[in-house]
Amino acid sequence: MKKRFDPIKDKSAEIIEYLMSSPDMPDDEGLLFKIRLSIEEAVENVVRYAYQTGNGWMEVSTSLDKQNFDLTIELRDAGTPFNPLDRDDPDITLPAEERNIGGLGIFLCKQLMDSINYRYEDGCNILTMVKSVHIA
Amino acid sequence: MEVTITKTDDKNMVVLNGRIDTTNADQFMADVQPLMQPDAGDVEIDCSEMSYTSSQGLRVFLMLQKSVMARQKKMVLKNMKPQVKEVFDITGFSNIITIQ
Repeated sequence: MKKRFDPIKDKSAEIIEYLMSSPDMPDDEGLLFKIRLSIEEAVENVVRYAYQTGNGWMEVSTSLDKQNFDLTIELRDAGTPFNPLDRDDPDITLPAEERNIGGLGIFLCKQLMDSINYRYEDGCNILTMVKSVHIA
Repeated sequence: MEVTITKTDDKNMVVLNGRIDTTNADQFMADVQPLMQPDAGDVEIDCSEMSYTSSQGLRVFLMLQKSVMARQKKMVLKNMKPQVKEVFDITGFSNIITIQ
């Protein structure tokens, strides 16, 4: 399923709930926790930072490959070109005094999803996250 | 998210109830301000009813930890659900925050 949200300012919660309500979501609490957290971090990144004016649109979609049970979540926006995957991972070995919160959201996405890809196409940032939802 | 703080002599007993996410992280930050005051004592947080946290919640826990260390007190998080603990593990927060 797919939906375009415009405007997106202050709409994070609504966009997250839309994606989580998809029939493509697995019926597994542990998987849903990881998927929700990844979606929240990725959606927040767009809502907060994609548009310099603070407002614009975002199109979100889910799809499920019924052959191998790969769930794909795609976020698309027309904001400032920005590849969140270019950013260095936070150094998680630093002591508390030296830790800061930057980059933690996208790092969580990388860790919790099976794969995450970014491309810039037709004037749009496109972030794609894939998670296997096959339950043995 | 509900934050209940009970202050005893030199210790703050805190109970968290619910989810920390994009809708309430700012409120959570405001709710824990008493734990960051210069004269605040040790902090013990019961996390048994905390069901979720995003990176915005982690940010508040990091600020709490820094505040507690700066005034040479201790903070401990107790009874964390396995799924939430995993978020602390993945991000290395388990190494900088005491979780029992």
